[in-house]
Amino acid sequence: MSKKKLTPVIELRGLTKRYGVGDAQHNALDNIDLTIEKGEFITIMGPSGCGKTTLLNILGLLDRSNEGEYFLDGTSIERFSGARHARIRSRQIGIVFQHFNLINRLNVIENVALPLTYNGMFRTKRLKQASSVLKNFHLSEREYYMPWQLSGGQMQRVAIARALVNNPSIILADEPTGNLDSKASHVIMEELSDIHKRGNTIIMVTHNPDLTTYASRVIHMLDGRVASDTKIPVEPKKSAEKIPLGMHHKEEKNKKPAKKRKTTKAKKK
Amino acid sequence: MRLFIIEHAQNAYYSLKSTKMRTILTTLGVAIGVASITAILSLGSGITQIVSRQVEALGGNIAVVRPGVPSDDKQSLVNPTLEQGYTLSTLTEKDLSDIEDIKGVDAAAPIMLTAGSIKSSSATVQKNTILATTPALMDIANLPIRDGQFIDSVTNKDTAVIGNQLSVDLFGTDQSIGQTFKLRGQTFTVIGVLKSIHDPINFNNIDFDTTAIISLESGKSFHQGIAQIQQIDIRAKNASDLAKVMQEVDARLTKNHLGEKDFSTLTGEEISRPTSRFFSSLISIMTIIASISLIVGGVGIMNIMLVGVAERTREIGLRKSVGASNSNIVWQFLVESLIISLLGGVFGYIGGYILAFIISTFLTFIPAFTWEIAAAAFGTSLGVGILFGIYPALRAARKDPIESLRHYH
Repeated sequence: MSKKKLTPVIELRGLTKRYGVGDAQHNALDNIDLTIEKGEFITIMGPSGCGKTTLLNILGLLDRSNEGEYFLDGTSIERFSGARHARIRSRQIGIVFQHFNLINRLNVIENVALPLTYNGMFRTKRLKQASSVLKNFHLSEREYYMPWQLSGGQMQRVAIARALVNNPSIILADEPTGNLDSKASHVIMEELSDIHKRGNTIIMVTHNPDLTTYASRVIHMLDGRVASDTKIPVEPKKSAEKIPLGMHHKEEKNKKPAKKRKTTKAKKK
Repeated sequence: MRLFIIEHAQNAYYSLKSTKMRTILTTLGVAIGVASITAILSLGSGITQIVSRQVEALGGNIAVVRPGVPSDDKQSLVNPTLEQGYTLSTLTEKDLSDIEDIKGVDAAAPIMLTAGSIKSSSATVQKNTILATTPALMDIANLPIRDGQFIDSVTNKDTAVIGNQLSVDLFGTDQSIGQTFKLRGQTFTVIGVLKSIHDPINFNNIDFDTTAIISLESGKSFHQGIAQIQQIDIRAKNASDLAKVMQEVDARLTKNHLGEKDFSTLTGEEISRPTSRFFSSLISIMTIIASISLIVGGVGIMNIMLVGVAERTREIGLRKSVGASNSNIVWQFLVESLIISLLGGVFGYIGGYILAFIISTFLTFIPAFTWEIAAAAFGTSLGVGILFGIYPALRAARKDPIESLRHYH
């Protein structure tokens, strides 16, 4: 954690995205400047059509802006080719969707291992890594379940595990609790908050103002602009001893915190 | 790259398995196309191989001389026997005796075919061949005698050896030694009956089962004493000398024909050339027609792949969002269509041979196994897979990930 604040994870300068032509043209994103540091948990709020999903898509390299610059880990990536974007998506970005988007044909562990395929990793190694991530989400017994055998909350946890499996710099979540009941939402938010406490950077789009309590920074958007940007002071926890999730395959000793979490979870239930 | 191929193959296996019925039917479409091509090609090369295999079986030391020069014009395609059928043969008895005199020649026999109906006391047979030749033919063509003997130098002029089927047709029995038949008013006595050969395609182009073999003298007597030789069969003493012997034959006959090379000497595969050329062009036409069914199979692949792409729009969007590049997606779908088409190719190849063997039970030859046919089956199915799989694959790759993820079933 010593290297934090050397370079921001994300830096946007004058980012603009336009849709439509002629009179129908409007700016979905209007000249956005934004700097996101490593380890922040950001929720982006705002009414429908304010451009928050567009912003998330551009951050996730699923879409391109018309103007402005986007630095990811200090590198400007605006002008890279589609193939290069794909590579960055596979190595530096993890995305969690509202609709989970698990592939029904594949079982849980293969769904989680999917992003590693595009890293050129071999199957056995992939599954091993996916398995160790799933362990952190208490889904070890569900590894060989098919997605339709899981509850909504479990599916979303699998999806979060998938987003984490390749140890990304940022995790983007588009309404991750939008399809869940309040109990499952709570569990998912606890998971995300836990990941955040381990040092991962999370950017979450949501409609639900209650969820901002988990965030370290809340951004309100309106008409493609940042309307307000509030930092919530984080209580300096024992986060130092924790390692960001997804790092576990590099450092084996992180089994400990996982176990610790299990006990707290059990209490909660 | 290697990793991706394995990866995509695994992936394709699961996705094809999840739509089993569809995959089987699409594979069947390709298999039928490949099967028909395989059947046609294997039977086709079965025919063309017959003659060269016969020559080989006879020891590889057989050569023939035919009148006329082989031409490549299209006329000879539809009428392979043009030189023999409608023009006066340029081969003479002197040519024959000159060939017999060459040192390396073991035996030479003329083939003189004439027409005419054969009448016995009880039946008249019109569809037959009358072959006037010399005793040497029996050895050269390896004709098996069932009863009696072959014509030889001491037998009477008006004797004949007949094929098994002809014997049955004429006399109602294959035991016809001593029976007589009439040919152009002349009476012939049967002194021998050939064994049934069932081999109408051979280097003499004669179906010996329905042939009456008479001496060259008798044959000449129907042609005002002139021998009309359509072919001279030559057997060399050694297979290794054959080329040298044929050079000598060539030189002597050219001299006999006053320097005009109006004949052709053929060895090995060349002997079946007119037949092969005719069949191979016929076979190519049939193959082209058969490949229409392969195109239908290909359209089936494209259809099913497009359905698959549409159904899996969300999956494509997701894969892209977790790091799949466009080429990853192209390969994913292309490998899938290739698996369908190659499976179709394998089953079609096997099915084609089964079909060919069933058909060949009604024919006098068996389908041939050559690497060319296997390559054709493999190549066409591969081609179909790529040709009809590339468009759906490109379409899948071009999908916008955001739109795709918004797509619902």
